[in-house]
Amino acid sequence: MSQNILQLRDLEKIYPNGTHALKKLTLDIREGEFLVVIGLSGSGKSTLLRCLNRLIEPSGGSILFAGRDVTFLKGSELREYRRQIGMIFQQFNLIRRRSVLYNVLSGALGTMPVWQSILGRFPEELQQEAMRSLEIVGLKDKPLIRADALSGGQQQRVAIARSLMQKPRILLADEPVASLDPATSHSVMQYLERINKEFGTTIICNLHFLSLVRRYATRVVALKGGELVFEGNPHDIDEAWFKRIYGEDAIEVQID
Amino acid sequence: MASTSPRSVFQAFVLDVFFGVYLAITLHRIIWHRVLLNSEPNELTMPLAIVYGSIGVVLAILLHAMKASPGRKIFGLTIPGWRDALAVHMLWIAGVATVVTSWVVTKVSLIDLFSGDRLQRAGQLFGSLFTPEFSIAGQAASAMVETIYLSLMATLLALPITFVLGFLSARNLMKQNNTTFVVYNLVRIATNFTRSIEPLIWAIIFSVWVGIGPFAGMLALMVHTIASLAKLYSEQIENIDPGPMEAIEATGASPLQVVWFAVVPQIVIPFLSFTIYRWDINVRMATIIGLVGGGGIGDLLMQYQGLGRWNEVGLIVLLIAAVVWLMDYISAKVREAIQ
Ligand SMILES: Nc1ncnc2c1ncn2[C@@H]1O[C@H](COP(=O)(O)OP(=O)(O)OP(=O)(O)O)[C@@H](O)[C@H]1O
Ligand SMILES: [Mg+2]
Repeated sequence: MSQNILQLRDLEKIYPNGTHALKKLTLDIREGEFLVVIGLSGSGKSTLLRCLNRLIEPSGGSILFAGRDVTFLKGSELREYRRQIGMIFQQFNLIRRRSVLYNVLSGALGTMPVWQSILGRFPEELQQEAMRSLEIVGLKDKPLIRADALSGGQQQRVAIARSLMQKPRILLADEPVASLDPATSHSVMQYLERINKEFGTTIICNLHFLSLVRRYATRVVALKGGELVFEGNPHDIDEAWFKRIYGEDAIEVQID
Repeated sequence: MASTSPRSVFQAFVLDVFFGVYLAITLHRIIWHRVLLNSEPNELTMPLAIVYGSIGVVLAILLHAMKASPGRKIFGLTIPGWRDALAVHMLWIAGVATVVTSWVVTKVSLIDLFSGDRLQRAGQLFGSLFTPEFSIAGQAASAMVETIYLSLMATLLALPITFVLGFLSARNLMKQNNTTFVVYNLVRIATNFTRSIEPLIWAIIFSVWVGIGPFAGMLALMVHTIASLAKLYSEQIENIDPGPMEAIEATGASPLQVVWFAVVPQIVIPFLSFTIYRWDINVRMATIIGLVGGGGIGDLLMQYQGLGRWNEVGLIVLLIAAVVWLMDYISAKVREAIQ
């Protein structure tokens, strides 16, 4: 019953220095799935994610969001589109000197008039919503603490709460647990899983560890040199596929 | 051996010509006439200049053709052995000639510095400086207050303009499209030019423009503050972590919101710290600017100096030293506290 929320057609990215990071990528992403993107370092995973919310301009091909072409959106239309897509990052990318609450509220900037946000006048209902987002990620007792005083796992949860302020239909996660220890990694991944299950938010997540992939993904795609080389069920990645994706000499590392 | 592209050979030759002419002039006019013969060289007329020029060019061609010239050495085009050694010798001869020339041109004279008569005069002067005249303390203090407020005003008025210019001259923010990049370059050129003119010269310009007094001094300091702080501000903006910008942009925020929420929080503390430091510098400069009619304590210093009243000058110098030290101390403490 699920339909395609994103359709990529022949998506291309060539950086100004000539690096061909994405090559004729065609891919459908289904509403409500937990899609994991794997591939070697430099295979184009981050480039793909940033093309999806147009932080990076694709060089060719097209992106359809709920059937609508969003490849060439500009200005307020582009911002309107981005508002429906949350994003979290390996380095969390919080505003470090500000409070947790301030960071969470900044997720709602797209819904506010510019002058109002610059004067810091966040409406009461937004503040309550920010507290609810913090509750979802288990941090409702920390709103006034400075963001950089938190542990890495907590910072990533603040980043998730920030993206929840957008009520996103899609959540992009660029190696969300790559700077975290194994136990914390699972905790963060479980929050993503919950958001996926409870709110039906589509998750597109770059990961390095196959054990995490098998545990959380509903579907996997693999990139190699900017090309799609695998698309399927996480449990179908056997020894042979593993070597095809990561190269002959690769050995799988476990994370528990 | 390094690359011997025709381009670098040509550049080396141009350098050699300059070198040859320079050597001809310093060796003949300064070393030969002033130092060895102790006589004034002939006035530098056009024909004489042509002679120097020709000697220089001939020297350059000769050395260059021998592949033993200083220019080739600098571009790494000499061959090891006697050629390389000759080029090095030429370079140190030019070095010595330059130091001797500086000495002669500055009219360095140990006799002037240490002869009995002169020493006595200096002694008197220092004597009066160290016995300051306290009866003008009130007058000096109020002039000092004027200087401090003048520099505060200059810093405060510069602040909003600098803030905007700092963003406009930050490469990472302005490189996004062609229009903003043109603005970036224009602002850069304007601030670089303004900064290269010393505050003292700005003070002279403004004292002609608006008349002698504290207003002229304030304007001079303000202009220079804008130009120097804008550079520091923009460097700070260029060094911020781009991650939060990306994150805020991804939420669908507008460019102004991205700057306000992701850039500004990263830079307010360094900006404040630079600005307080600048106020500190401005107090020092304000005392100097007063010397050319910029008002405040510098003005007063010039007046008493003109009258030869060295005890009064002594008090003023003492006061300046005390205030500068105090400002330095306070600004360091404040900057430490806000880190
Ligand atoms: N801004 C850029 N300019 C030029 N080349 C870039 C830029 N960003 C990425 N690349 C190049 O594009 C290719 C894909 O990079 P990308 O960051 O998408 O890979 P990745 O799969 O996310 O790698 P990693 O696992 O290391 O994060 C790499 O070769 C990279 O060097
Ligand atoms: Mg990446």
